[in-house]
Amino acid sequence: MPLRAVCCLEKGPAYTPPKPLYKACSEPRVTEFYRQYLAVAVFVVAALLMVAAMLGVGRLLRPTLPQEDKYLTYESGSDPLPLFGQANVRYYIYALLFVVFDVEAVFIFPWAVGAESLGWYGLTEMLVFIAVLLLGLAYVWRKGLLKWA
Amino acid sequence: MNPVFDWHALAPDIIIVATLAIVLALDFTLPERTKFHTSRVAAVGVLVALVPIVTLAHNGHNRSMFGGTYVVDNYALALKAFFLIATYLTILVSIDYIEEGDYYRGEFYFLLLTAAFGMSVMASARDLITLFVALETISLPTYILAAFRKHDRASNEAGIKYYLIGVLSSAVMLYGMSLIFGLAGSTKLSEIYKHVSTHGAKPLLTIAIFLSLVGFAFKVSAVPFHFWAPDTYEGAPTPVTAYLSVASKAGGFVALLNIIFFGFYGLNGSGTEAWWPVLWVFAAASMTLGNLSALRQTNIVRMLAYSSVAQGGFMLVPFAAAGIAGAKGNFGVANSSFSAVVIYLLIYGAMNLGAFAVVIAVARRTRTGDITSYSGLFDTSPALCVMMTVFMASLAGIPFFAGWFAKFVMFRSVIEAGGTWATVLAVIAAVNSVIAFFYYSNIIRMMWFRAPAPEHGDGGVIRVPPALAGAIGVTSAITVVVGIYPQVFARVGELATHVS
Repeated sequence: MPLRAVCCLEKGPAYTPPKPLYKACSEPRVTEFYRQYLAVAVFVVAALLMVAAMLGVGRLLRPTLPQEDKYLTYESGSDPLPLFGQANVRYYIYALLFVVFDVEAVFIFPWAVGAESLGWYGLTEMLVFIAVLLLGLAYVWRKGLLKWA
Repeated sequence: MNPVFDWHALAPDIIIVATLAIVLALDFTLPERTKFHTSRVAAVGVLVALVPIVTLAHNGHNRSMFGGTYVVDNYALALKAFFLIATYLTILVSIDYIEEGDYYRGEFYFLLLTAAFGMSVMASARDLITLFVALETISLPTYILAAFRKHDRASNEAGIKYYLIGVLSSAVMLYGMSLIFGLAGSTKLSEIYKHVSTHGAKPLLTIAIFLSLVGFAFKVSAVPFHFWAPDTYEGAPTPVTAYLSVASKAGGFVALLNIIFFGFYGLNGSGTEAWWPVLWVFAAASMTLGNLSALRQTNIVRMLAYSSVAQGGFMLVPFAAAGIAGAKGNFGVANSSFSAVVIYLLIYGAMNLGAFAVVIAVARRTRTGDITSYSGLFDTSPALCVMMTVFMASLAGIPFFAGWFAKFVMFRSVIEAGGTWATVLAVIAAVNSVIAFFYYSNIIRMMWFRAPAPEHGDGGVIRVPPALAGAIGVTSAITVVVGIYPQVFARVGELATHVS
């Protein structure tokens, strides 16, 4: 049993519902639907403040030694490509494969959350799904599309 | 809680999926020399999938799954059978075409079966999301199939045009569907039906219905959304064109049937005034523009493309008739319109596939789609000439071929509807039947009365491979038998008893 609940049972006052944020009236001005968006707005403001605070504190604390290399865009350690430069068309097969496995992950995560309640049925379904995707991977591999040359 | 599976009802779909997985696996394991086996596996798989359809039809229960989004009733079974037979005939037509050309063989049948799976699901879909996923499962493989002649510019153009316009129409349709969901609060067609029954056609619902109908109009190449069809049909490999014009188009019509009659046709005909004027215009424009453009074509595939636009217009007529009658409170027409569309689809499928099969057979020697290459066909290949005459006469709607019965049920539905607008539509359809007669009979005239043109091939007898001959035989048999004994399709009308 959670700790707070135990306290309440022992000596706490009777439960009173929290005061409503808005004055009750016959026709609710702000519906539940819009109230959820209020939470989104609070999150946006909090996120902006957080970023501003972190950058601001960093600026105050760090030493400032400007060098030209430090202003390059970071691209996993290799020299950055120009913005509208040509990329090798062979990358596109990796982009496609990435999408396939990305989508696979999107389906597997919610399944994993409910895996226990879904039981053997869920496991079989997911295995069939993965088997179908593996068939696609096997096709790509056998057709030699994974070779760079 | 796990969803309940009715394995018997799902068996046709599961067999198709298993077959396409096997075909794909065979494609990357078999050596190039023995890859023709993929076509046989695909053909056998499609025939095996027909077995559970027969047992389900014999059993006769209506089955509903996944909260009523997937229904297997007699209507769904009839169309599943139609789609599978059309796929089987397309495989027969393709075998030699694919073997003799420079094509990826395994992938061809894999993509064909994927589209067939989408159609099979479409027949059962009673939910906007299922409907959309099924429609995309049909569309995506056919985009690739249209561009299957990889080294041919026209084929690439065909694929790109079809893809771009298909994606655009999907986006418009999805937007319409999202509005419908917002209004009805559910994606299930039965819930949308309840909403339409109580609220009627509010302006926003009318806009939503219009947007989703525009999407379907692209799919069934109804005028004014038909521009992709002639170029795509001409550029794509001819067996694919046959499949596009028959099965893929039928998929769009089945989606339209489901959404109109299970969703938008409210209780006592409420809500029908939201969509009948749109479909009326689509029908009238498709018939007229399709036929007038077909008159001027010199390439037989382009002619058949415009003819299929026009035939699509004829198939839209019963929809408009049902809406007109529903808005006036005459609900009985819904049943006869529904069965008219289904009957027209089945008959159109047989005769159009047959016509394309003959085109493929003739092009084996002449290597061209030019209409003049049909001159004197009677002298060189009398059997093909007779078959083509049957298909052309049937497409024109000459009595005692199946196409006549299709036109008959179409006219019956629109005359039952009654009223000014229905009468005008009936007159437009009648005038168009006469126009269509000209270009179909032009082919017949060429074949029977002209001397063979020496510039098209050696003038010898066209050798038709057995698979292609089989496809022509089956389609012509259906065309003739249904024309003489339309009673065999009259029972299709009973499938529609649960509508509205």
